[in-house]
Amino acid sequence: MTNTAHTIDTALYDAVTDALRAEAKKVLESGTAAAVIGWQAGRRRGSAVPAIVTDPADAEKLIFSPSCVNNLALYLTKAKKEVREKGKLAVVAKGCDMKALAGLMGENQLKRDDVYIIGVACAGVYGPAIRGNAPLDDGTLARKCRECAAELPEGADVSLGTVPRRPAFTPHEAAELARLEAMTPAERWAFWKEHFSRCIRCYACRQVCPFCYCEQCLCDRNRPQAVETTPRPAGNMAWHMVRAMHLAGRCAGCAECERACPMDIPLNLLNRKMAKELKELYGHEAGFQAKEKGPLAEYREDDNQSFIK
Amino acid sequence: MHIHKEKHAFEPKIVAFVCTWCTYAGADLAGTSRMHYPANVRVVKFPCTGRIDPVFILRAFQKGADGILVSGCHPGDCHYMAGNFHARRRFAVFRQLLDFIGVDLQRLQFSWVSAAEGGKWVEVVTELTERVRAQGPMPEFKELEAEEHWSGAIDTPELNAAYNDI
Ligand code: SF4
Ligand code: SF4
Ligand code: SF4
Repeated sequence: MTNTAHTIDTALYDAVTDALRAEAKKVLESGTAAAVIGWQAGRRRGSAVPAIVTDPADAEKLIFSPSCVNNLALYLTKAKKEVREKGKLAVVAKGCDMKALAGLMGENQLKRDDVYIIGVACAGVYGPAIRGNAPLDDGTLARKCRECAAELPEGADVSLGTVPRRPAFTPHEAAELARLEAMTPAERWAFWKEHFSRCIRCYACRQVCPFCYCEQCLCDRNRPQAVETTPRPAGNMAWHMVRAMHLAGRCAGCAECERACPMDIPLNLLNRKMAKELKELYGHEAGFQAKEKGPLAEYREDDNQSFIK
Repeated sequence: MHIHKEKHAFEPKIVAFVCTWCTYAGADLAGTSRMHYPANVRVVKFPCTGRIDPVFILRAFQKGADGILVSGCHPGDCHYMAGNFHARRRFAVFRQLLDFIGVDLQRLQFSWVSAAEGGKWVEVVTELTERVRAQGPMPEFKELEAEEHWSGAIDTPELNAAYNDI
């Protein structure tokens, strides 16, 4: 890897912040939406946290910066009833968040008419543990953003900002995926066993995922118990396989699960692998358009069955 | 009628998840026709292959299965019209996941066996049993099941250094 520093021009974020405040004010004053879900500055300098703004005067609080990592689509699922009760909602969405919104619409969790989407151009967000006002470069950029081709969401009600020309980053996740695929099965088993064994089953990955909205997760059931709940290696392996299967063909690739994981388990690697397989097998890709049925909710009579005797 | 029984050093445990309408009836037919097949297979009956959740497969591996068979009605013959079509996609994807995690796909077989195919049932079960026998016991999930270590084990270099500094 050549070490020429790649730095992203962050002028975009201030421009978007101004446009966002004006848009939020307009939306709240005109009654287009009862609340705007966005980000506001966190207590630590340079950090950001999700915010739900209902008063037009508070629109000034909203910001957009490389610290705005959260995928706000999470607040529109059934799991967050208290948010939906506020009335028609406006939500701020980056490209990867927009894919999650489209996915939720496809799954009938959300009606397009019930939400006003404020799309924002995005040049990338910070990776883990980066805070303050660090420059956005090779060292600080989130992994997913290195390979992102969705910087400007499509299908939003309004689109703010234009994406600056981004330097070409060396992909990290794609390289890691290729490295794993080239391993022997025994090496892959050892790799995942080590990672999964560290899982403490805090379920942060589940809570943060817009698609984990089941009122009762299979992994919490104990009569009968499908997945052992103790954070032991056996139960952890089962939990991770169930998570990967239940999100296969639905995951939007926002990498929130990986970001939320306190044990640094490379969850997005599994997500990416499943996405890759679904593309190869059934031509499915997460996109900006809501699809009526996901690849594992439909079938074709002539689907490949070469593995079946 | 007695057939010669060979003694093997290793008898694999095979779990067969089958649908009640086709494969179970097919296995039944094999029995009533007095066909012989390895006694290694334990049959678990489901209403439909569409009801066979991948966690059942994981659970069976964890509890000691060395090989697993999932079998149901041929495409187009599903009692519930499309259960097997859905299962086909789900298992196609699940196989890829297992492979990515590092599980040997030789231990897993999928098949369509109709109620009239007693012979095919014998064939499928015999083939899988012999294949798994040749591979030996499946250690991965059993080892995992036996491991008791607390997953939050503190073993990073930083923490060790901090501990040694105290
Ligand atoms: S993945 Fe793309 S849209 Fe999402 S935060 Fe990164 S650069 Fe922005
Ligand atoms: S599984 Fe992870 S990457 Fe996929 S949608 Fe959920 S949080 Fe985002
Ligand atoms: S967030 Fe990480 S540690 Fe917590 S349950 Fe998910 S994978 Fe395990």
